[in-house]
Amino acid sequence: MKRYSTDVLVIGGGSTGTGVAWDAALRGLRVILIEKRDLTHGTTGRYHGLLHSGGRYAVKDPQSAIECIEENRILRRTHTHCIEDTGGFFVVTPEDEGDYPDRFKAACARVGIPCEEIPLKEAFRREPLLNPRISRVFEVPDASADSFLATHATAQAARQAGAQILVYHEVVDLLTEGGDGDRRVVGARVRDVVRGEEVCIDAAITVNAGGAWAGKIAAMAGIPVNVIPGKGVMVAVNHRLVNTVINRCKMPSDGDILVPVHTVAIIGTTDERVADPEMLTIEPWEVELMLQEGDKLVPGLSRSRILRAWAGVRPLYQEGYTGESRNATRALALLDHRQRDGVFGFLTITGGKWTTFRLMAEKTVDKVCEQLGTNRPCLTATTPVPGAEQGYYWLGHRLHEVEEARLQGDLICECELVTRTMIEQAAANNPTVTLDDLRRDVRLGMGPCQGGFCTFRAVGVLHELRLRTQEEAQTTGDANGEPPWNVAYMQSPRQAFQAKPAALGLNHSPLDNPNLLLRDFLQERWRGLRPVLWGRQLKQERLDELIYLTIMNVDHLPNDGAASPLTAFWQFDTAPNAKEADQ
Amino acid sequence: MMLDLLVIGAGLAGLTAALRAAEAGLRVKVISKGMGALYWTPGTIDVLGYIGAEERAVQRPWERLDELPARHPYRIVGAGRAQAALEWFRACAAELGLEYNGREDGSNVFTPSPVGAWRPSYLLPAGQRAGDAEDDRPMIIVGFQGMRDFYPHLIASNLKAQGQAVRFAMLPWSVLSERRDRNTVQLAEALEDPKTQQRLIDALRLVVKPGERIGLPAILGREAHSQVLTALAQELNTAVFEIATLPPGVPGIRLATALRRGLEQCGVRVEIGMEAIDFHAEDGTIEFVETATSARPLKHRAKWFLLATGGVLGGGFDSNHEGRFWETVFDLPLTTPPDRQQWFRPLFLDPQGHPALRGGVAVNEAFQPIDAAGNVVFNNLWAAGGLLAHADPIAERSLEGVAIASAVAAVEAIKAQAFARVDHRAFPSETP
Repeated sequence: MKRYSTDVLVIGGGSTGTGVAWDAALRGLRVILIEKRDLTHGTTGRYHGLLHSGGRYAVKDPQSAIECIEENRILRRTHTHCIEDTGGFFVVTPEDEGDYPDRFKAACARVGIPCEEIPLKEAFRREPLLNPRISRVFEVPDASADSFLATHATAQAARQAGAQILVYHEVVDLLTEGGDGDRRVVGARVRDVVRGEEVCIDAAITVNAGGAWAGKIAAMAGIPVNVIPGKGVMVAVNHRLVNTVINRCKMPSDGDILVPVHTVAIIGTTDERVADPEMLTIEPWEVELMLQEGDKLVPGLSRSRILRAWAGVRPLYQEGYTGESRNATRALALLDHRQRDGVFGFLTITGGKWTTFRLMAEKTVDKVCEQLGTNRPCLTATTPVPGAEQGYYWLGHRLHEVEEARLQGDLICECELVTRTMIEQAAANNPTVTLDDLRRDVRLGMGPCQGGFCTFRAVGVLHELRLRTQEEAQTTGDANGEPPWNVAYMQSPRQAFQAKPAALGLNHSPLDNPNLLLRDFLQERWRGLRPVLWGRQLKQERLDELIYLTIMNVDHLPNDGAASPLTAFWQFDTAPNAKEADQ
Repeated sequence: MMLDLLVIGAGLAGLTAALRAAEAGLRVKVISKGMGALYWTPGTIDVLGYIGAEERAVQRPWERLDELPARHPYRIVGAGRAQAALEWFRACAAELGLEYNGREDGSNVFTPSPVGAWRPSYLLPAGQRAGDAEDDRPMIIVGFQGMRDFYPHLIASNLKAQGQAVRFAMLPWSVLSERRDRNTVQLAEALEDPKTQQRLIDALRLVVKPGERIGLPAILGREAHSQVLTALAQELNTAVFEIATLPPGVPGIRLATALRRGLEQCGVRVEIGMEAIDFHAEDGTIEFVETATSARPLKHRAKWFLLATGGVLGGGFDSNHEGRFWETVFDLPLTTPPDRQQWFRPLFLDPQGHPALRGGVAVNEAFQPIDAAGNVVFNNLWAAGGLLAHADPIAERSLEGVAIASAVAAVEAIKAQAFARVDHRAFPSETP
């Protein structure tokens, strides 16, 4: 068995885990991060993309609000290119009566959130589709954020500082030593999902940043951590109904926010306590509720073309809490298991929200340093990640480059403007096991056709890349250890086009089976389509069926029962009652 | 003069129905919102490829129709009449310059799909005939560097895995075009230029070995397809065949174009861009259908109406988030499950298909739409093609067969009324 040794082992490749790895590496600690799938596979990759100003919590939870506005300012400097500076409105609809708006304004002032009431005329000029019956509008520094890109950029910053990031590595067991009173976690036994091998990682401190899965991980050391899994459903509308984040000016509740992200607008969200964070089903009433609430912000939203619905699970935590997940605190929870459970060398970081991931990491690594008996200052607040120099994201970024460099003929995904070379570069230079990984890297298949045209094309492009690599018997960076992690940057069609031809490294064996890539990605996209299939999106889906059944006959390709890391979806969906299908 | 028959929809069902009716001397017109779903298809005539969850493809479709649901359009038409309808279609297409062929014994022919699966079809256009799985000759699949809708290596690798002797070759894009942003339709048009054709022939000579048949993307000419195909085969002295690409599908466009040309020759107008938005009926008889144009609504009066607007994809149905699912012209009763939760199965590729897509317009033996109680909805309305209930032509791979068989059967019923003045309620059952 392969054996690694490190100061800090981080479990979980979401925003928090990569943040911890980045912070610890900057402080000069040796770090290994493991993630059971691709980075952002969990909640980080399934949220609505809001960089909070803190306004949402100003009244209800001032401490969270203060954290948000401080982090908002920091992330705009450190992760600039992952943020679109949309600004945010808190709007008072006819249903939001009462004194909340005034309390809101006062609370924002108290906690230091810049909040200005703007004339309605000005608000409607900027957002003409807003409900005309809105009576007051407050402007705050909300923004929309790309959590895929931000996590990749953070991970890249961590790597540059010396951290090792192992994706598709799943914890099998925590290694413990000692008995009652001096038990300690000394690392983890980990399974390399792609190669099917087990690896041992010895670590002075293990940080559990498993998010919604944190309870399961802590249980491996016999520690009860009762994460409150709060499922949030989000629905994407096929174009940007608004260019500003729109919040209802009322106590936080279901369906009270509309976020413009890239080419779409996302309405969110619900909060339902669920049992299993992995296989989430979306109920029709949840989608219906989002549409109804969305209509109150932008009348007619429910009649827009809906692209997709999905759910993420908030890893909320409140010691001893048993109530509804909506009312559980959003504050971060750092559990020192030495104090709490008498187990040394093990921390759990959970709760919080995307906006405060850096702060969560800072507090965690402070505790790590304390336990390691060293005193090293946190540097993340003043260290921009790679790509930040690109400036704020702007919507026209890709289109501008495609048009300037005349790359229309190379578009593999027309909806999201993904060119052939972007796919090749992303696949060659990043750990890519499924098309879903590529989706997170370059936004493949995230537009209106939901993979209808680009799934086939991407499979063809990757197959071609594979053959070319075999022919040339050439390898890229992987062989020398450090692949250039260029999905840390805003994906540039022009740069990808100008880069030297991509070639796959040696460890991309899953890409060998095009038929599985195809089948599993189609199923992954279907999961998000099924709850919203009506009207034009249903028509589109029928065209996708015409393509994949009538024209391609993909359901009669030789597959030989082979499995890929996405096969769990397939199995789960084949037998919806078999919840253990994921095991 | 008053029309005898107004056909709504210019897909395969609408066009063949119009042709069949015009042949019988009826005054016919076709109106359609768009160009018809043929523009998306690979141009083959698929009768029945798969039944239910059965893995194995259907070999002899006519012998298997009894295994379909009792009210499946094929069961209403009957195997004998359906087969005759397909034979009639074949003859029509030949007259219009499109040669379609199948097997003598009526069994399916299998040709490579764009991912290298074997597709079951009943009739193939001349350009796809040489892709037959039963042909012993080895294949070379030839693609073009940077062509985003065709991946010869993928086709070859999957065909090889299934025992076919096959290899692939990549030609430079510049053989086809100087511009990178050409789609398959534009490439097909470009190949009608003798210079481009010659470039392709010269490039193919360098890669093809003697005895190999050549598979190319379906871009071998649009209007002048048969000339391009013949030129390639003669110059290279071997069989050449097309493999479908992503939509738009050039072979489907050829078929739609030929059928529209055939209709024009019979004096039938095909009016595209005419979306039926309303109708008027008196005592269960439709008097006119209204279409939207930029200037004013137009009324289309006729004695008889044939609805061939297609299924979900063609535009025959629409639906909304409240779970309503409706037929778009006459709001006909549908068999679609009323509960949105029952519309789709958890698996995209579920071999059973999805319940919402098997629902549709139920018809009687004469292909007249009926309600749940079995009563005819309008005296002078018939329906054919993708909107018919109890079939999922995409899951079954029966798209073209259902369209043609039901269109012919519906027109036969209309003719019976036109010429024998038979009261529709007395129309005899023809279910075998």
